[in-house]
Amino acid sequence: MGLDLTFLCSRFPALQPSPISREPGVTCYQLLLPHLPQERAFKWAELRVPKGFPEHGKAFVQLSPDAVLNVPHLDGAGVLCIKGDPGLGPGYTAEERILLLLHAYLEQFLKPWVNGDLDGDFEAEALNYWAIEVMRARSNTNPVRAIWTVDPPPLKARLRNGLLLIPNRIIIAADEQLRITNRVVQSMGQSATQRVKVLIADIPISHAFTPTTWPRTTSDLERILKGRLPSAELLRLQSSHSRRGRDIHRVALLRSPDVAFAYLLPGGPPTVLNVDRGKKTFPPLRKPLPLMTSRIDPDWTVGRDQHPEVQARQAKHILVLGAGALGSPSIDHLAKAGVGRISVVDADTMSSANIGRHLLGADSVGKTKVDAIAQRINSGYPATVVIPHAMTTAEWLKKNTLADVDAVLDLTGEPDVRAQLDRARLSHPCPLLIGWMEPYVAAAHVCVLPSGQRWLQGAQDPMSGLEAVVWPSEVIRQEPGCSSRFQSYTAAAAAHAVALVAECALEMIDSTAGSLDPTVRSWVRGQHFLDKHWPGLLHKEWALSAREHDGLTMIRQFP
Amino acid sequence: MSITKSAALVNYAEQAKPARLTKALESLAILNERFVTYDSARHLKYSPWAQALNAANLHITVREDEISAAAGAYQEVAEHLAANLSWPPEAISIRTQGSVSTKTLIRSPMGGEKFDIDAVCEVDISRVQAANPMEFFGSVGRALVELEAQAKRRCWNIPFPRQPFYLEFTPSVPLDNVPTQTLASMAPRYRASRYEKTALAVVDTPTQSWKTSNPAGMSQWVDDTSKRPLIRVMKMEAYAMDEARASVSPVPDQTVEITDTLRVAIRLFKRHRDMCVRRNIIESSTKPISIIIVTLLTTCYEGLADLNRSFEHPVELLVELAAFMPHLVLKLDGKYRVDNPTVEGENFAEKWNDDEGERHRAFMTWCDALSADLKTILALTEPQEISKRVREVFGIPAPSSDGNGLPSIQIPAPKATPASSGLA
Repeated sequence: MGLDLTFLCSRFPALQPSPISREPGVTCYQLLLPHLPQERAFKWAELRVPKGFPEHGKAFVQLSPDAVLNVPHLDGAGVLCIKGDPGLGPGYTAEERILLLLHAYLEQFLKPWVNGDLDGDFEAEALNYWAIEVMRARSNTNPVRAIWTVDPPPLKARLRNGLLLIPNRIIIAADEQLRITNRVVQSMGQSATQRVKVLIADIPISHAFTPTTWPRTTSDLERILKGRLPSAELLRLQSSHSRRGRDIHRVALLRSPDVAFAYLLPGGPPTVLNVDRGKKTFPPLRKPLPLMTSRIDPDWTVGRDQHPEVQARQAKHILVLGAGALGSPSIDHLAKAGVGRISVVDADTMSSANIGRHLLGADSVGKTKVDAIAQRINSGYPATVVIPHAMTTAEWLKKNTLADVDAVLDLTGEPDVRAQLDRARLSHPCPLLIGWMEPYVAAAHVCVLPSGQRWLQGAQDPMSGLEAVVWPSEVIRQEPGCSSRFQSYTAAAAAHAVALVAECALEMIDSTAGSLDPTVRSWVRGQHFLDKHWPGLLHKEWALSAREHDGLTMIRQFP
Repeated sequence: MSITKSAALVNYAEQAKPARLTKALESLAILNERFVTYDSARHLKYSPWAQALNAANLHITVREDEISAAAGAYQEVAEHLAANLSWPPEAISIRTQGSVSTKTLIRSPMGGEKFDIDAVCEVDISRVQAANPMEFFGSVGRALVELEAQAKRRCWNIPFPRQPFYLEFTPSVPLDNVPTQTLASMAPRYRASRYEKTALAVVDTPTQSWKTSNPAGMSQWVDDTSKRPLIRVMKMEAYAMDEARASVSPVPDQTVEITDTLRVAIRLFKRHRDMCVRRNIIESSTKPISIIIVTLLTTCYEGLADLNRSFEHPVELLVELAAFMPHLVLKLDGKYRVDNPTVEGENFAEKWNDDEGERHRAFMTWCDALSADLKTILALTEPQEISKRVREVFGIPAPSSDGNGLPSIQIPAPKATPASSGLA
């Protein structure tokens, strides 16, 4: 459709009605600029209307390329990032939308820019502008594509070793002395078949760089390196060579807990890349290459810096018994929550019947569950290492003790395991979590016992007494052989149980000695759910309050 | 002939520092030739630099009227002290100290940050009361509890949440209030100095003892020194301007700027230091503190005046001050010394001696960066480029104008409540 430009120009005379042809798919109208102080001037501003407007797309304002990184709130193409055209939703006409956009251009951008009110805005979104700088300098033949950090910034500037991973050309800003480095490298598989040592000046900063303060030249960078690195380390950086006497890559990493900037310094070895059918060698860089950084440290990947407990979890070793429908997704949650080490014990092999409710899928059928889980977690979550033990609990307890285990999760549902654990905890007391589900996941229970609190009450296993539903004998309670039919349940129904286990486990792992009470936490579905699965099912008396609800979580003292 | 301490320091520094930059640069040699015919107007050759540096100086200077708005805050503090303490009001006097009293208060590179107003509260208490410095410090803090004063090393920080400044408030007593024995132990070599009348004792809370200080003497010293003539051509200014008007046409701007060169140097150099911190070249925790910059620059200026040195133009002097600065820090018996010239026993560089050289290194790094930046500015010749580079170096935003004068658009009425975005 055509815009009523006469109307628009009458409302905003700076808008020029004749379109300019710049690129296909978009119509551009010049916006005359007022007189701007020389340092605030840019070549042009345009109203741009995409093809299909107003039904498709939104109108926007774009400034000339000379404004990028000189004027804040512009993306790399010069498009002004303001709340302008509200789009089709709120019901404005096309002309009204353009007026709203032009109003925003005036009030949110042009006036405050001329007044100097936007001058501090670069700092607030420093990394957006840094990304533009990086994109401008980037080429396919760069020796390095990005830097990954795996630990917090140092307190004082220092020189450290790092690893350039080839062929993916990522630098890990740490060496193998940090366990997480190996985990990250391992997780990259074929993209990190070769490791090359690099030297990194790791410099803590207290101010985010902006286009006016970030280093632009080698000498700007040298100034920072000279000012911040101890002189012996500066000398080592300047004169560094690999063991074979070749130049090595050097990186300046400038970071605070919130932002990071990095440069590959000029020099270094030539870069050999696969091109077409052969290899091609590219000469070393002549000027510093700005690089993006990503944080792979647990505080960030696990909790986006908002969970101080991650540090303590990193030091924990948790033993998980049972890697089935409850165990396998619970392990996944523990890894996502930043537990450092998880030993998993299960003798089972993944079968097709498991696919519907297991963490693993068809690609793992035929593999032992623990090995496949370890492979999956170890490559996906660098904050955690899973140690697989393809054996029964009894076998594991023969070969190991609970001495270096901080807590045990028993998710096997097997009475023998509970009895074996009770014995093992006599010699090495540690907190224990027992989690299980009732048929159809009509209820799930998590019992948390502090060190020293036994599960067995005399010779009695209290499990069935803790359950919520009265089950008729026709309902099979224990999973028999693989060939038998078993009351199936959806992974969605089980997700409630998994969440219950994972939350209780994390509470137990985070708790301090002496702060843990012996409790049973139960998720109990209401009558409607029970009726859907088996006629005439009834709640036990203690669980009756769940009847009316879709489901209810209840906490009881362990008897 | 005996020479002053400042002159001796400058003499010593002259041997270590490189030759005058303004004599070595090609850009200036060309200008020298251009202006050589008008000997008396030669100072005009510096005018592009002077204008650019002046603009930077004006931008960073916190104006007198902004500072005087803080006077009400002292009054409030004084009233709290008088109301909450048993001292008679006439025994309490509050006055500014630090950069406010030396007229070198500058803005932070981020416009929104508060500026710091330093004030000293002098209480004429009896020698008996002065025997316990911590008790004195604590009683001042308790009197200011309603103002949410926070204790720092030697002062109370009062936030004044609705004001563009905060107050750093240092309790002090006249030096002669302090018992003689204590006085002897805190400054064993104490002797009369030029500004002894205003010397004070302040409380150093980490050591729980009195320390000498002389804020009034310090600002008097800066003021006295800044008035001493170092610019040769200044006397000829009127004549030079006439001459220029007659023969060099057009003359872009005939006023000689940055004539209060000592204070301009203090402000610009402090700003440069702040920019070095923003550029992460030096760390905020170890940056050279302002009082060290003030002391070194004033010493240098004084020494140059004592030695009867003269300069053609403030720009020349400014560059020289930067070049001298790293050579003016004394190292005696392995200890760095930047002595307070107005009172015995206060070494502003005290912390430099127990930080494994970090602060000294930060100071030297900054001095190098400052000299290098001034050199790049002087190496330019185009006024526009000079102005651009000065802005970059000192972190001065582009000049603004009145955007509110631009037209407005009437916007259509809102149609519907916009949908909110969920959390994913």
